[in-house]
Amino acid sequence: MKHALQIFGFTILVSAFYWYVSLWVPQKRTDPPEDIVISASLTTDEMIPIGEEIVAGKGTCLTCHTMGESGTGLRFPDLGNIGAIASERVAGQSDVDYLAESMYDPNAYVVEGFVAGMPNVSRPPVALTDQEILTVIAYLQSLGGTPTVTMDTPLQWQGQAPAPTAATAPDAPPDGATVFTTYACNTCHSLDGAAGAGPTLQGIGSRQTREEVTASIREPDAILVEGFAPGVMAATLNAFGFYDNVTDAEFEALLDYLMEQ
Amino acid sequence: MTINRRSPVLRAACIAFLAFIVLILTGEVAFGAPQEAPGDGDYRTMPFVGSRVFMWVVAELHLMFAAFVLAVPMFALVIEYIGYKTGDKRFDELAYDFTKLLSVSFSFTATLGALLTFGLIILYPALTDYLVKIFSWTFLPYVLLFFFEAIFLYSYYYGWGKFSPRVHLFLGLMLNIVGTAIMFIANAWLTFMNTPNGIDELGNLTSVWDAINNYIWMPINIHRLIANVAFGGAIGAAYGAYKFLGAKTDQERAHYDWMGYIGNFIAICALLPLPFAGYWLGVEIYAYDQSLGITLMGGTFSWLFIIQAVLIGNLFLAANYYLWLSMGRIAGAERYRRFIKYLLALITICFIVWATPHSLVATVEEARAMGGSHHPILNVLGVMSAKNTAVNLLILTTYVSFLLYRRANKEATVSWAKMGNLIQFSIFAVVVIFVVFLGVYGYFVDAQTRIGLSQPQVMSVLFAMVAVTVIDIFLFKNARKRGEIAWGKIPGRAQYALFFLAITFTWLMGLMGYVRAGMRQHWHVYGVIRDTSVDAYTPTLGFAGLVVSVTVIIFFLFLAIVFFLSGLSGKKNWAPKSPPPPEATTTEPLPDAEPATEPEKEPEVAGLPNPLASLLRFIRKKS
Amino acid sequence: MNIFVLLAIIAALVAIQVVGTRFVKLNRLAWMAIWWIALYLALSFGIDPPLPTTIIALFMAIVTLALLAYLSADSEELETAKNTIVSFMTERKYMVPLLIAVVAIPLLVAFKVYSDMTQPPQPPASGRTIHPPPPASINFEGNTINLATANNPYRDLEESDPEAFAQHNANGRRIYFENCFYCHGDNMEGSGMFAHGYDPLPANFNDPTTISQLQESYLFWRIAKGAPGLPGESTPWASAMPAWENFLTEEEIWDVIIFLYEFTGYEPRAQGMPH
Repeated sequence: MKHALQIFGFTILVSAFYWYVSLWVPQKRTDPPEDIVISASLTTDEMIPIGEEIVAGKGTCLTCHTMGESGTGLRFPDLGNIGAIASERVAGQSDVDYLAESMYDPNAYVVEGFVAGMPNVSRPPVALTDQEILTVIAYLQSLGGTPTVTMDTPLQWQGQAPAPTAATAPDAPPDGATVFTTYACNTCHSLDGAAGAGPTLQGIGSRQTREEVTASIREPDAILVEGFAPGVMAATLNAFGFYDNVTDAEFEALLDYLMEQ
Repeated sequence: MTINRRSPVLRAACIAFLAFIVLILTGEVAFGAPQEAPGDGDYRTMPFVGSRVFMWVVAELHLMFAAFVLAVPMFALVIEYIGYKTGDKRFDELAYDFTKLLSVSFSFTATLGALLTFGLIILYPALTDYLVKIFSWTFLPYVLLFFFEAIFLYSYYYGWGKFSPRVHLFLGLMLNIVGTAIMFIANAWLTFMNTPNGIDELGNLTSVWDAINNYIWMPINIHRLIANVAFGGAIGAAYGAYKFLGAKTDQERAHYDWMGYIGNFIAICALLPLPFAGYWLGVEIYAYDQSLGITLMGGTFSWLFIIQAVLIGNLFLAANYYLWLSMGRIAGAERYRRFIKYLLALITICFIVWATPHSLVATVEEARAMGGSHHPILNVLGVMSAKNTAVNLLILTTYVSFLLYRRANKEATVSWAKMGNLIQFSIFAVVVIFVVFLGVYGYFVDAQTRIGLSQPQVMSVLFAMVAVTVIDIFLFKNARKRGEIAWGKIPGRAQYALFFLAITFTWLMGLMGYVRAGMRQHWHVYGVIRDTSVDAYTPTLGFAGLVVSVTVIIFFLFLAIVFFLSGLSGKKNWAPKSPPPPEATTTEPLPDAEPATEPEKEPEVAGLPNPLASLLRFIRKKS
Repeated sequence: MNIFVLLAIIAALVAIQVVGTRFVKLNRLAWMAIWWIALYLALSFGIDPPLPTTIIALFMAIVTLALLAYLSADSEELETAKNTIVSFMTERKYMVPLLIAVVAIPLLVAFKVYSDMTQPPQPPASGRTIHPPPPASINFEGNTINLATANNPYRDLEESDPEAFAQHNANGRRIYFENCFYCHGDNMEGSGMFAHGYDPLPANFNDPTTISQLQESYLFWRIAKGAPGLPGESTPWASAMPAWENFLTEEEIWDVIIFLYEFTGYEPRAQGMPH
């Protein structure tokens, strides 16, 4: 019995020693990042900064859109003055409805000179909630206009339960055309020869081999078509999670689709 | 009477256990009350300690017992097999001694597992719901395997000596296979939380197999398999030490000294490949998500690896210390005593290098004197090249200690003895110079090449160990013996060194378990399910150290119960207090029932075999 | 290294060795004490600039453990050491030294307390996370920059168009001496004219563990976001580094990064490598 107690004392001693060692190193507590709390009681003025943060962060809007002069309007329309012109874009549509439609159903109306291709931001991968979209509308209205939207403003698109995208459904065989739009290839590359942020893919199947196309997707910057900036395609594909998420089957389907062009 | 003398222990143990049960029950009662915050059904709170600490301790205890239950059959089977092949009964007894610890531990593992599951369901319903949704059907084979585990475990334990050796070995093999499969399934659940896979952006399941086979599943499986053996060996050695200290006769002392030695031998052998398994794990974490990797190695947790260095340095120091003390039981070992101080100096230097942090804790004055937060000289020791070199030399030094132990009572009789020693020494010299050279060379090349250098370092150390061992076997063929190994002739502090090893292993396991879970930071499932509870923050390392320490102490309390209960099977039957009738029905004469003056059976005390040597002898005989 | 101190310590050890073997038989306990003191002196005074006290404490703790292991690794020596201590405390002839020890030990403790209390007030010693994990991406003037994949867009010019690269380097030099050198110094040693006012000191780019261990995108993050952009775990942090995104353009930041590497002669760490 005596040695059992001694051993137990020894155990406590050694454990206490190691605890001391762990106290000897710097003590830092890491708190989780603060959440943007969107409560139903926000005033319109309070919604604006939150919307701004979502536009720059979770919404990944700035991957394609620019805000005024601080960038180059490359892919999608510049939004620097959107608050002033939103109500005039579509006849009979209020600015709130227009901005909401642009997010829930982006390709219903496409600004002249641009290619349709913006994804529905209420769906994955962006997956903004209805409340977040309201704050974004408030922010966009504030750009050149006066925000009128509140947290209670009803929008006809609200309440659509987000569903998994077709590309990630396990059973259906992947369809190249779907993959082409899922990862927003169509945002920059046209299939009909129209100009875009990236070179057109019209007739790509007859111009390049399957291997060349594969290489261009895997390493977009290895060979650049003259006049197009490096890094854009890789960054965009990354933003849409292409390299992380695309399955072999999807990739093959995409190649099949492109080679048919 | 035995039972009377022991009854206070039993009573104390019962009371402690009851108190624990009551604590749990009151906890459960408290859960029953509607305590959740309004509108927040994802969590319930555990009174007093909080949900996270409760789950943390329970999960860690469950893991420790599970590791032990999985590891013991592995080496018990190997030892039994050696006994079967060599026909040496003592190996069979040793394997049985280890196996005796299993049945109680198995029940504890299951109970703690149930507690863990209840805790998850009650305290973290939303998370549990999600995990169950992902891994739906995998729970079925898990339960089935658990049944088989129970069947094989008890048939292996109770069937000892009841079946033909081949059937019994087969049972042991099945026990190991089933146990490993159970661990693999459970690992899938927890690795998924670190590196989720097989799900879409919303967290919906797309492929169960992808969820199971996530980035770190295999690395964790392998890492745990090896670490379990090391841990099990260390706990087995602690059991030997415990029995040694309480032993009444020389014969018992000899047996348990031998048991401790074998347990320690297993632990150290399994410890050596662990860093490489850990390296693979690290690479996979980086491959999954770089910021997860940097959180682990470069952020707050970088200091955790300094604590780890202290623990592992202590492991090596204690293992060598035990070997040096063990040499005391061998006649002829005096010749090698003078080398100890050089080995110790080398270990100390490597230990210091390994424990040197990259960013130093310094006051403003000191930082000013150093010209920044990095010390110009110490800086050199804080980086990868130095640490790889240090750990390789630590491994090599431990090997040399073992080599000295091995040849302590032998004198080579072969004609080329001098030459052989010279070759062995040259191999060591060349490898040490090569390892140090690569370490220094690492400072002058870019990072990519530097990372590549660790491989030749490891390979050369492995080469040295294999080559020297092979030479040694032939060198000491038909060696003249200076004396026998006097098992049992070892000071008590060597047994405390074994305890120290066991405690350090346990603590290390708790610490690394913490970092594996902790690197997820404020996520339950990394990147998928946010931790929105009050415990979402990552605590300080001091707090983590306290929780680990308490867990280790609770574990050893449980272990004391396991040791005590395992010892009961060999106890004499209870009899009324009157003088025991001569025909008392004990199967074997028990040491503590016999008067200490009884003449002991001397011949079996000396010369308990080394398992490796016996196996080698057997192989040589075969070939 | 303070060679003279180290040499003196080694000479003293050799002298004790000679005296100890020829004239007085020193037992292992005495040798342990001698080694402990020698190593303590060597660590405290033999290295220049001096080591932080926390490091000395860590090293001496390891040394103490090792020496205790050595003492007890041999049963006979341990017995001798035990007997020495027992006889020192019980035998009459050691009365005077024992009394001295009994008085001296509390006095030493008192002296330590006194000297600690009379120190001028100092901020507590702190360990900083020098290279905190960067965020996955940052937002620079409306563009999202993925730190895991971003490369210096002008790095390729080094091979393809050395002249243009030299221009970027020259531009970087101009920017450095217009903005950075006040703190980081004209030699990039973190010893600019304002440096003495800061804690922590400005980074020393000549130190082989700073920029040569990092990717260019990491530097971009640190320059663009400065101290305000540091994550929580890097606290306590009183870094005075401004967020240069408010003053420099993206191209200017990449240029100054080129200049940092060109001036110090280091190569940036390649992308996608484990730590």
